[in-house]
Amino acid sequence: MTGEASKARDIFQDTLREAAFLVAKGEPPADRCWFFREARWRCLDVAAHGVQPEQGTNESTEVSPQASEQIEQLEPEQLASWISAAPEPQRSVLALYYLDEFTYREMMSMLGLKLNELSRAIASGRREFQAWLNATVPAAARE
Amino acid sequence: MKRLSRGLRTLADCAPIANAKAPDRRMRTAVSRAKRTEGFAAQQSFDRAVAKLVQATPVSPEIEEWFANEKMAEGVKRNWKKTALHPAILAIGIALAVIAVVAWIKFDEQMHAFPGTATAKKLLTVAAMTRPSEFEPVQTEAGTLNDLFFMKYRLEHYDVPPGFSHQHTIGVRVFDDDEAGQVAQIGLAEKRMQLFLFPARRDSKTAKPEEFEGWRYIEQEGWTGAVQARKGVLFMAAVRGPKKDLAPYLSKPKE
Repeated sequence: MTGEASKARDIFQDTLREAAFLVAKGEPPADRCWFFREARWRCLDVAAHGVQPEQGTNESTEVSPQASEQIEQLEPEQLASWISAAPEPQRSVLALYYLDEFTYREMMSMLGLKLNELSRAIASGRREFQAWLNATVPAAARE
Repeated sequence: MKRLSRGLRTLADCAPIANAKAPDRRMRTAVSRAKRTEGFAAQQSFDRAVAKLVQATPVSPEIEEWFANEKMAEGVKRNWKKTALHPAILAIGIALAVIAVVAWIKFDEQMHAFPGTATAKKLLTVAAMTRPSEFEPVQTEAGTLNDLFFMKYRLEHYDVPPGFSHQHTIGVRVFDDDEAGQVAQIGLAEKRMQLFLFPARRDSKTAKPEEFEGWRYIEQEGWTGAVQARKGVLFMAAVRGPKKDLAPYLSKPKE
């Protein structure tokens, strides 16, 4: 989200420091979502002052039954780049959803989104990624 | 193929990627219905492929180091104070405390119960309601009234214990009670105490009077009674006040 490992490390450490400060005050973070929520806000703050990703054309198409074969031909870094270039909050939604570690309620809590906003971000992310896939891995799309 | 309602479609779009059980009933319903629709299988296949790619994303050694001590991000453990103040725990605690107090009161009542407790309590109520004018005026020492009870009412062993025998009376009355039988009630000048003599309860099998040793206290509506059993007759001294008002009379040497 920050585009730089050093910035991400600083945010990570700042978040832990904040958690330790809260513990010392006798008000420890209520749940694990607190860490993600806090770190995300810090990332967004840093990202707002850094280089902004270029807004692409948001073409979209229905998810193809052959999509999994197309995705297998991708490198993880390509996916990471695509997600990083997505606008907020879609970028955070897709990152958390595909980490596959959180329930939709936890994601709503962390991102401060309503269910329909979360659902829309995931669904449109799928369609846009499919469109990008078709452009990037066309051979598989024609199979 | 069926179409999903808007609400279920919204949920199905956020369906768990792994085959893990959905976190709540609504989501399970949405997934279950979505499986019967066109396109959900493709969605799941798409999501699994993307998640697999995310899992395969290499993590640099530098970032791995950040999480070397994973305990830093562990969930918060509740301390005992927070646990104790949780509304559910608090409610259970209060309920258990109330049950314990009620059980203790019942146990205490059982421990102090004696044959004739119910009658003695009833007579305490009589004591509270009796006016001095209801007594037949008799001014003498309480210890001498046994002759009166025997001669006039044929009541045997209606003797006042030594601790009260020298007390001056203001009046007496004898009445029949459904449960207690013939009750002798004596009004005293001192502390406006009242003395009661009534037959001890009889054992239903042997027909012998049920007796007990020593003095037993009962309390009701601000009145205290001290009860003793002798020769098939129960004697009760009643006073408006606490136990300590009766204690000096009971500690005097017995016959």
